Amino acid sequence: MNDWNTMSDEAFRAEVRTFFENEFPAEFKFLPRRMRWHECRDWYLKLSKKGWIAPNWPKEHGGMGLSPSKLLIYMEEYERAGAGRMPDQGLTMVGPTLIRFGNEAQRKRFLPLIIAGDAIWCQGYSEPNAGSDLAGLRTEAVPDGDDYVINGSKIWTSMAHDATHIYVLARTDKAAKKKQEGISFFLVDMKTPGITLRTIRNIAGHEEFCQVFFDKVRTPKENLVGELHKGWTIAKGLLGFERLNIGSPRRPLQALEKLEMLAQARGLMADAGFVERLTQLQLDLADLGSLYGHFVDKVRRGEALGPDVSMLKVWSMDTYQRLSELLIEAAGEHGAIEGEATIGDVMIDTLSPFYNSRPGTIYGGSNEIQRNILAKYVLNLPS
Amino acid sequence: MNETLDEHAALLAQSVGDYVRHGADLPRVRALAQNHAEFDPAQWRQLAELGWLGVLVPESCGGLGLGLAEAAIVAEGLGRALTPEPYTAVAVLAARTLEGAPVSPLREELLGGLSGGSRVPVLAWQEQVDDFAGLQLATMAKPFEGGFRVSGEKQFIIGASAADGYLVTALDGDALQLLWVPRDAAGCSGDSVPLADGRSYGRLTLRDVVVPREQVLASGQAARDALDRALDAAAAVASAELVGVMKRANEMSLDYMKTRVQFGKPIGSFQVLQHRAVDLHIQQSLADAVLHDVVAQLDGDPGPVPRALAASRAKSRCADAALAITRAAIQFHGAIGFTEDCDVGLYVKRAMTLSAWLGNGRAHRARYARLAAGGGREAA
Repeated sequence: MNDWNTMSDEAFRAEVRTFFENEFPAEFKFLPRRMRWHECRDWYLKLSKKGWIAPNWPKEHGGMGLSPSKLLIYMEEYERAGAGRMPDQGLTMVGPTLIRFGNEAQRKRFLPLIIAGDAIWCQGYSEPNAGSDLAGLRTEAVPDGDDYVINGSKIWTSMAHDATHIYVLARTDKAAKKKQEGISFFLVDMKTPGITLRTIRNIAGHEEFCQVFFDKVRTPKENLVGELHKGWTIAKGLLGFERLNIGSPRRPLQALEKLEMLAQARGLMADAGFVERLTQLQLDLADLGSLYGHFVDKVRRGEALGPDVSMLKVWSMDTYQRLSELLIEAAGEHGAIEGEATIGDVMIDTLSPFYNSRPGTIYGGSNEIQRNILAKYVLNLPS
Repeated sequence: MNETLDEHAALLAQSVGDYVRHGADLPRVRALAQNHAEFDPAQWRQLAELGWLGVLVPESCGGLGLGLAEAAIVAEGLGRALTPEPYTAVAVLAARTLEGAPVSPLREELLGGLSGGSRVPVLAWQEQVDDFAGLQLATMAKPFEGGFRVSGEKQFIIGASAADGYLVTALDGDALQLLWVPRDAAGCSGDSVPLADGRSYGRLTLRDVVVPREQVLASGQAARDALDRALDAAAAVASAELVGVMKRANEMSLDYMKTRVQFGKPIGSFQVLQHRAVDLHIQQSLADAVLHDVVAQLDGDPGPVPRALAASRAKSRCADAALAITRAAIQFHGAIGFTEDCDVGLYVKRAMTLSAWLGNGRAHRARYARLAAGGGREAA
């Protein structure tokens, strides 16, 4: 097995670049929307076979165990090649959560399924009346024999229509004094009778998220992660991984790639005003990389992510939106065109980064909620 | 980094922490600033005794032979304490320039003296505004058999008032010369321009100053390389001073927001102030993370282009973050923040002078853009 971390940065970059550029299917490069499972399955399996599907996981669980600087190079080259985002909840959320909070049986059963592409996960967190106030969730799980029986509904569940599994936060103790107590964390097979879903069309016209309904859905007791009623700790731990994932430079890099392509195509590098703004954004993103590396290092050392990881998410999604806005502005009249426009010698969909970056300041805890968390738990400001 | 170096860094961080806690003396800083003084020989001796002036000086010349990571630890502490003595100008900019020059008796003498505090060499390289790399030179070195006769003018020299001599750049035809000019050399005169924080920029005028051959420290490409490497190092370490300034200013703001009561509540409970404080904390965290990465990168001695890109990243982020944080500190403190007696003002002014020196945020972004356009970003 390769020890990627002992390779030089240049050699590692060259190797991943060649592979991503040559092997990612050309028809899906720079796709303006998220790839569906039937579109990206082959690519997922190809990465899996090569041992590259989980760059962030430790080697013992089938990952690449990359250091922060190598992980950043992996992401940069992935985005440079225009390779699309796959259903990655298993890789970025469930895997790290089970590694940290799961038991040995759960790790043995579920981690290989994720690596092999046999389990595609989605997130059962938000509810119609529990968005920013996540702990106000009302979906319930009640023990019955060897199972828990789940009733309720989850919403804004990204890619649920492609998922084989869902992880669910459900209330198990309604009498608990604080609403954060009495919540538990369950793993559920989407094929279980009683699960139905409806897709929801987003502002860009794509069906990427769903509402999931649970009507007497049974999940076996061994699918409870961690202790009963103590799911909030796991939920928060997972939110830490989510903030690390959303806070990575990966998504803003997509927008920067397009912006640099557009700038070349339109000759904007001769416009000093544009260059100043582009450079500021390039540095905002490069500096995000440094901050991201600091948190990735913590995870690698086995330290828990604290509430300070929220700042990554705020800065990453804020930078993503600002990049997407400059892209539209730099496109001039083309910036109003729906779908791909021919600009100079390239085809660019200038609106897709705008649409894709909008929910980034809402999902995973809105940026305003992140600021509340940082004010309270990091700056220790009074309430 | 090996264990010995880690140990050095830990010890250094501890002694810097002690200095900031016990030695940081804002009344002294304030008194010096009010008298437009910036150099206290006793303070300088203390910095020398602590070994801090010699952090970058090779052990063979009596220094500690450490890297920028360690110099940054010292500089962050001095920034936090608002120490006005020219640590970065002397112990980084001049020391790195000398270290990069070929071995000579004069180099060893200056480096040894710098480290021990008995000599205060200062670099005089800049002539034009925004030309922090010192590329636009009008200062000429006319050769004669015993050396050079040098004429020209230099400005924006931090530490000039304490200097016992200058490392002067001058052109001999196309060749850059790095020359030692003692403060009292015939034809060498100077004045100073007061800065917002009580320190000053020195201006140096050289008229037919005779520089004997043994005072030529480096020539041609060797001089250019030594200078460029030192300027990038100094930009990174000045960024560390800025990080110290911004962290202390942020602490002052947060302390104030927790104790100042209006409308029956501490003002820090108001969400509009909380979110503003969070955004500034994010800037501080970015600055800290960039600084950490950049000094590690520079200590790995990369090529000139990645080194310059990294230095510009650090100075751009740290300068702008320090300005934003210290300005906001005035606002958070309300009217009291606008008074001369409030310490916030000292931090605002130091942020301004450290930002402007060695290229401000805008100037470094412009350099970054130029180098990145040449394909440099990928190399970094």
